[in-house]
Amino acid sequence: MMRTSLLMLESNPRPGPFSDDLSASPEMPEPARDTRLIEVQSKSGSTGFACEPGETILHAGLRQGVTLPYECATGTCGSCRAKVGSGEVAVDWDEAPGHSRVKRERGEILMCQTRPLTDCVVRVPANVSVGFPRHALPQHFGGRLDVIRRLTPDVIHFELSLSQPISFDAGQFVLLRVAGLEGMRAYSMVSYGRNVRTLQLVVKRKPGGGFGNWLFEEAREGLFIDVFGPLGRATFHPDEDHNLLMIAGGSGVAGMMSILERATQEDYFRSHRGYVFFGVRKLVDCFYLEEFSRYVRAAHGNLEVTIALSDEDCGETCHAQYPEVQLAFGMVHEVCARAMEGRYDNVMSYIAGPPPMVDGALRTLIVGARATPDRIRYDKFG
Amino acid sequence: MSWKYLCDVSDVSNNSLKLVDVDGIRIIVANYGEGFRAMPPICPHMEEPLDESGVVAGCVLTCTKHLWAWDLRNLDLMGETEKELKTYEVKQEGSRLLAFVERELTYDFDEDADDDEDFFANA
Repeated sequence: MMRTSLLMLESNPRPGPFSDDLSASPEMPEPARDTRLIEVQSKSGSTGFACEPGETILHAGLRQGVTLPYECATGTCGSCRAKVGSGEVAVDWDEAPGHSRVKRERGEILMCQTRPLTDCVVRVPANVSVGFPRHALPQHFGGRLDVIRRLTPDVIHFELSLSQPISFDAGQFVLLRVAGLEGMRAYSMVSYGRNVRTLQLVVKRKPGGGFGNWLFEEAREGLFIDVFGPLGRATFHPDEDHNLLMIAGGSGVAGMMSILERATQEDYFRSHRGYVFFGVRKLVDCFYLEEFSRYVRAAHGNLEVTIALSDEDCGETCHAQYPEVQLAFGMVHEVCARAMEGRYDNVMSYIAGPPPMVDGALRTLIVGARATPDRIRYDKFG
Repeated sequence: MSWKYLCDVSDVSNNSLKLVDVDGIRIIVANYGEGFRAMPPICPHMEEPLDESGVVAGCVLTCTKHLWAWDLRNLDLMGETEKELKTYEVKQEGSRLLAFVERELTYDFDEDADDDEDFFANA
């Protein structure tokens, strides 16, 4: 067995909201005895890190640069499965759907849902190393709900002010936790920035959607929200020099807006092409039209934005009020397939939306465009 | 422990997958245009059912759940794929496709024996 190296980069990972001036605080950091040590045994050897009180194993590892496998980080996908070799743990959300992918009776866990009660050894069926990868390491932030703006009858745009600046890549997401609601929810940033203290996010209300319902019914500006991030690998990097194809449904358009924002800031569409296909049901369900128009106007004729309406046939035309935006009738991946025929040259594709839409888009790209996996980016939440 | 009938060649069209049952063993047959493959019906990554999640195009089988992919001509792993695809030997006799099925091929996350080693070896 390889020697375990311990990483203890931070003694207090959870800053209170807006504790800007830590030096003025008379309190000592959390007592070290509450910190649990996690040893990770993986296919690529053994490593270790400290887990602070209340922290899940996944969050503790990720923020310290340990490359634990994950996708949704919220208990659904099952990608962060591991096995407890020794030690005691507590599971946060017993009914997490991802538990169907682990054998709990054999000590398997989802690292995103598990907090250590003692020092633990966990075995992870992947290559795990310690490094500082391409994306900024995620951290805990205190967040304050600042702006709540209703965009359509079931879509809300909201903004969070953070306790410290955050840097993230276009296409990444954060996890939010609200007091009184179980589990954390993942939301992709609509905005883009480095060292910013404000995040713009969007949520679509779904039946049974706890956070969406909370935002629509109870949330008010000034409330505090725990934030962890940034996470996610479906990111845009201008130096990769691709044309961009974005296929989104509903609030999945958030990450696309972030990509368009960065591309526009850096005048990426002067020398590259961009194609956005945004699927909603009806004209009344469209949002971010003003933003799309602005991006198209700034793109030197190299950006096309098409709204695919699945339940309302307005013909193939431009939007009456926002002529920069095209309208089409059909499921978004079908509209995309028709419009993109023969235009997939040097394309990197980004996909986000409800699972059936993601599946349809993937099939369109793999079968229709012969896209290889390295040219498709999406984060699997289902 | 013998050559078993899978299906007729015409049952599995070009660039498609077909799930068949061979004496109680579920096998998925892939027609990749240049030939056929027969394999366990799940993705070796997270047990996704390939008859739902699998796509064959350009001689490549892709599981659309997490984009693991294999070149069906030589079974090479593509992209971020981490595990080999297990396959049954296939032959064509006239219009019939046969596979050599000695025992059911499984990925080790399905085995109950000595779980620790399995858990590691097969991830």
